[in-house]
Amino acid sequence: MMKIIRPGITFGIIGGLLTFLFGGWSVAVIGCFMGLGLGLGLAGQFERKNPLELVKSALPTALIAGVILVLLSLYQSSVVQEAIGKRPTAEEIVAKGNLIGFLGAVGFSLLLVALHSLPEKQEQQWKIAVLALVVITFPFVDQASELRWTSQIIFALIFVILGLGLNIVVGYAGLLDLGYAAFFAIGAYTTGILSSPVHNIQWNFWLVIWIAAAMAAIWGLILGAPTLPLRGDYLAIVTLGFGEIVPVLFKNLIDVTIKEPLTCWILPMFGANTTCIVFTEHFDATLGEKGISPIGRPALPLIAHGEPAGAAMTIKIVIMLVAIAILGYLFWRAWSSGNRKPGVMAGFAGALAAIFIFFLPIPRTNNTIIDSVLGIIQPGEFESSRPVTWYFLIIGIILLSIFIIRRLRDSRLGRAWMAIREDELAAAQMGIDPVKTKLLAFAMGATFSGFAGAFYAAYIRGIFPSVFDFSASIIILCVVILGGIGNINGVIVGGLVLMTADRLFLPALKDFLAAFLKTTILPSISDPAVQLAVKDNANPILYRFLLFGLTLAIMMAVRPEGLIPNEQIRAELHEKEAVAEVEAPKSKKGKKG
Amino acid sequence: METTKFKFNLRRFTFSALILYLVFLLGPIVGLDIPAIAASIKANPLQLVQFLIIGISNGAIIAIIALGYTMVYGIIELINFAHGDVYMIGVFTSLTVLSLTGTLESKDPGKIIFGLVLALVIAVVFCAILNAAIERLAYRRLRNAPRLAPLISAIGMSFIIENIGLMWAAQAWLVPSFGTTGGASQKSFPDMLGILFTSMGWDINLLASTGIALRFTIKDLLVIILAVTLMTGLYLFVQRTKLGKAMRATAQNRDAAKMLGINIDRVISATFLIGGGLAGAAGLMAGLYNNTAWWFMGFRAGLQSFTAAVLGGIGNITGGMLGGFLIGLLASFSDGYLNARWTNALVFATLVLILLFRPTGLLGEQTGQKA
Repeated sequence: MMKIIRPGITFGIIGGLLTFLFGGWSVAVIGCFMGLGLGLGLAGQFERKNPLELVKSALPTALIAGVILVLLSLYQSSVVQEAIGKRPTAEEIVAKGNLIGFLGAVGFSLLLVALHSLPEKQEQQWKIAVLALVVITFPFVDQASELRWTSQIIFALIFVILGLGLNIVVGYAGLLDLGYAAFFAIGAYTTGILSSPVHNIQWNFWLVIWIAAAMAAIWGLILGAPTLPLRGDYLAIVTLGFGEIVPVLFKNLIDVTIKEPLTCWILPMFGANTTCIVFTEHFDATLGEKGISPIGRPALPLIAHGEPAGAAMTIKIVIMLVAIAILGYLFWRAWSSGNRKPGVMAGFAGALAAIFIFFLPIPRTNNTIIDSVLGIIQPGEFESSRPVTWYFLIIGIILLSIFIIRRLRDSRLGRAWMAIREDELAAAQMGIDPVKTKLLAFAMGATFSGFAGAFYAAYIRGIFPSVFDFSASIIILCVVILGGIGNINGVIVGGLVLMTADRLFLPALKDFLAAFLKTTILPSISDPAVQLAVKDNANPILYRFLLFGLTLAIMMAVRPEGLIPNEQIRAELHEKEAVAEVEAPKSKKGKKG
Repeated sequence: METTKFKFNLRRFTFSALILYLVFLLGPIVGLDIPAIAASIKANPLQLVQFLIIGISNGAIIAIIALGYTMVYGIIELINFAHGDVYMIGVFTSLTVLSLTGTLESKDPGKIIFGLVLALVIAVVFCAILNAAIERLAYRRLRNAPRLAPLISAIGMSFIIENIGLMWAAQAWLVPSFGTTGGASQKSFPDMLGILFTSMGWDINLLASTGIALRFTIKDLLVIILAVTLMTGLYLFVQRTKLGKAMRATAQNRDAAKMLGINIDRVISATFLIGGGLAGAAGLMAGLYNNTAWWFMGFRAGLQSFTAAVLGGIGNITGGMLGGFLIGLLASFSDGYLNARWTNALVFATLVLILLFRPTGLLGEQTGQKA
């Protein structure tokens, strides 16, 4: 019984304490997410049986979690809020929020548990459907409840892509890359240089994002090639070196002078009188610490209302026709080969709709509801003040990345990566080319950080070299390690947990602590110097890297396989314990290698 | 036979010429403007000697930190990423001790000398214990885990210690000069040696009476003397004492050493204690020599000294010392003739080049392949 109830208590207390920090409507949103997490966690613990029995056995846990959440949340709105001197929330919001939170926590967890009665494949599909619903509705709920989390969640999603890319290198191919932020920087700077007025090149975002990804991939090959003979921590240190050199280059390429040496120095040394050929002189390529800004933003549709007919428009129309032609060919092939499943057909319909949304400007009506829906489908140029469009763009990029990475993982190449990870020598003997395989791991991993870099540059509208230093590489590594090395779902969860903790939890905690200290401890301190010291030190944002350091150290000590582990890697990590149990009398051999 | 040899040489010559051409062509991008450097050396040759002096003094400090890296790597094959940050804690500890004993405001030579010696002792002891504690907490349980687990744990510990330094640098009640601007900015470490020798009536520049336009200060001399003493002491300790012998045995083959009755845990703890103590001593020296304290200084120092350890041949104590001096010179010349903003990148490039072309380092025998 305790085993079933304990997760309910834990989830309830964590969720309830979170409402202390955010207040207002947050209890409703937190309740729903809590229900999702609880349901996903609980479902695996039961046998497959009929839904009513499943719900019955999970009911106590869900109820306990919901009740604890609501009790803590009510305590927050009645006592804590007053104690820290915050404006009290309207009673209507408190009542509705707690009701929705309770129903969300209980409903979602019971729904996911009940789904466990279905066969495994159907259960997966239903779970994905529920998650998709949550993902799609989240930004609107967020907007309605005035929590304003979406713009921060977008940062978490950027790190999810980065984590997915690094996961290819670290998780699949087993190469510890400590300089992954270098490729993030290359993607971002490619975007910055190609789409900002600084160098008078302002290309379209939809083109630049592919160039950024390709550029990152090429540099993945170039920086990966020298590291091929190295293994283990030497490889890690060399990648760290590249990761440090790249941002330094971006920071310092502010005064580039290239002169042809023969004509400028060598021949004049022998007395020849030549004119010096100068390629560039004092060229400011990256603007150093100031960074590149503003950077162009993406726009939908590609062909705007009233765009003059010309070369640009012709190219766009040609691209659209080519896309439709490719889609049509694929459709014809699927149709004629008898692959007429409803899922496949829906996919084709969706792709066709996407092409039209991308290219055809839909005229606006005067109806507010229709126009607001159109504003999401075809927002025109993406605005920083409307995070919803950015949110769906990054969700799209993540879905594309997941699709590509899953296909890669199950392909011949993906299996070659894992073989290299397990034993490079044996893999080479079996006919896998280690050079090609490792280089492709670096290149593919870098590609996704190119996507992330391009999105980041366009979203922030400016890039600065200090963003991409060693700590960025370590944050991405943290995401992978916290979630689970080698597991796509794990990396997504890791990225969301870690970055929401960094972006949402820490600032809220800072405000909470400041208000709390102001009303409780600070007035009782008479010495102004000590008062100031206490006030300044209670700032968790200053020490945000402690979060990442602790994550790495604690995960390595307690659960090196991550929150949602890859089965194979977990088995390997605990191999020694299993062996030790079986062969207890034999002395353990310290393995090196 | 003759022709092939000639052909080979020609190819080699063309290759070198091409590389040289590219260095001349693209070097100026990263500040390596050889004609300009040559002109500045020609204009002021004494400056070269000055950079040499600075390089050797900084190299002495780097060498001492590098010893900590090289000893730990030699014995458990772990890059102790947190080592540079232990050195940073050494700077902060000594500054705090100097502040709390009232040495910073004092002009009395006796009191300053007492404060400095006390700071040295406390910094050494504190950093030694800190380093051993890190090993106990973060590395010991991972000793039989996959190779990369302790490295990741070490990076985590490095971040944690850096944040402790960041908090420490915000505590103005401990050290008044930390000020009210928070912990993130660079703090000044008062020039205690300068004050000491001025109050004793000495000229801090030893070459002042000779009329040469160079600065070779008592600080340089002290740093070099202290470094050489520590290194000699360490060398003798490892070569002559029983514990040193146990360390060498453990480094060669941990299992065999265990079978011969050596307490591996004790030996490894002792290694971390010694490495941490050296980092603490280096912290005080660096603070007195460069007069800055910064929570992030351990990262750069750590990477420079790790590069030094790799350059000398990791696991090799003599190599660590040699590498330290070489990296100190490299950094000093880069600061002087290229531009300080390129120095970090240059040190990294050196590290990458060594690992790629001579992973054994100058004096070492281990290889990167073994990793």
